[in-house]
Amino acid sequence: MPERFFLSEMEEMTGIAVSECYQCFRCTNGCPAARDMDIVPHRIIGYIISGERECVLSSAGLWACLQCAACSIRCPNGIDVARIFTVLRRMSVESGLAAQTNIHEFDTLMVESIARHGHMYELGTVMRYRLSRRELLKSYRMGIGMIKKRRIGLFPHNVADRNNIRSIIKKTGGRGK
Amino acid sequence: MIALSYYPGCSLRSSSDFYDISLKKVMAYYGVALKELDDWSCCGALAALMVNEGLSLALSARNIALAEGSGFHLVAPCSACYARTKTAARKIAEDKETRRMVNDALSPLSCNGNIEVKNIIEVFLEYIGIERIADSVSYDLAPIHAVAYYGCLLTRIMGISPSDDIEDPMGMDIILKALGVTVIPWQYKTECCGASSTITNGDVTAKLSGRLIKAVVRSGAQTIVTTCPLCQLNLDLITYLGEDIQPVPVLFLPEIFELAIFGKISGGARHIVSIRDIEQAIAPVKGHVR
Repeated sequence: MPERFFLSEMEEMTGIAVSECYQCFRCTNGCPAARDMDIVPHRIIGYIISGERECVLSSAGLWACLQCAACSIRCPNGIDVARIFTVLRRMSVESGLAAQTNIHEFDTLMVESIARHGHMYELGTVMRYRLSRRELLKSYRMGIGMIKKRRIGLFPHNVADRNNIRSIIKKTGGRGK
Repeated sequence: MIALSYYPGCSLRSSSDFYDISLKKVMAYYGVALKELDDWSCCGALAALMVNEGLSLALSARNIALAEGSGFHLVAPCSACYARTKTAARKIAEDKETRRMVNDALSPLSCNGNIEVKNIIEVFLEYIGIERIADSVSYDLAPIHAVAYYGCLLTRIMGISPSDDIEDPMGMDIILKALGVTVIPWQYKTECCGASSTITNGDVTAKLSGRLIKAVVRSGAQTIVTTCPLCQLNLDLITYLGEDIQPVPVLFLPEIFELAIFGKISGGARHIVSIRDIEQAIAPVKGHVR
């Protein structure tokens, strides 16, 4: 069921003139993830314009976006499509319509890692992610290869003023302890 | 003596610390002092941006505050750090509401966003200059056939005038030519490598990085040169990602400088795809007196 206010909600929230889109397909043509999307970028924009809120927020394609921003820089109407995708991802999680949760889960673990250490602790974050998905052994061969070549740090690096980091995360409403 | 503030970022402290070592060695050779920000923190890369835009801006603002205190321009070798920090600096400088929000979050630190953020290609071209680069060559790198790979985050920063041509950047090509490398033109300079989907959806990185490597081989080049630590890692990991293709060595730009100036790469053993053939292909420039 189309929602009249979806377009204006998106335009107000992002400051991006989504309604300028004239469906030229340039965003989709340059998108390296388009073939993995159920709804390709120019159609997402089209659906926002026609008010298909639920259809957009439940799209699996939102999570295929790699944020390479090829769409944004090529849009003849200056629509920052990649940013629209970012905002839609947040909205899809908040509304409970998200087609998948693993990327959001991983991003949240990364923010928690920053809250804990001030720097990104990759190994810890990846291990926590694999554990939560009960796939600890997935890509272990790659993990061992990386450890052998010291391409993943075994121990975290800690920022001295971690209270400041935690306060930043708390005050901006991000996740973290 | 030129001095710059230096924001290495998390990758250059862990997975790619040999990039940090290589860059410092080359900058020291040219008399550029890199003054590391005291107690810098993670910019949150794309993860923080995905979770919460205010958080992403405030995390970058912390490093911007540290850099403003130093009074020097800031260099960020990692493309994600560069893109996030540059985006945040502009937004903080231009938008009062953003400035208020980040300073409230940062307190007792504060910033106003008035800082120049540079990537290392800009530093090589603007602070060292192409003539000095060409003059410093002691080893003949012509046997190295390379493509310059910029990745997506270096030039595609919305709302910022890019440091190079967005679709066909040339900065790294120009530097490599000055160093004597045989630079092969190709069409994939800014195509995506798969970014952080390596963990959450490895097949995507395998497909996209695999496509890049196949294009390199088709072009006749034997190596890829990049400045982005995530691109380097993804391309270097290709054999672990399940793609059945012939891998190619992926070098960081400062490592090419090491080859041209010193004849060897300090972090060579850290490459997953062996760089031995590259190191062995070069010889001192004939008649060169140092």
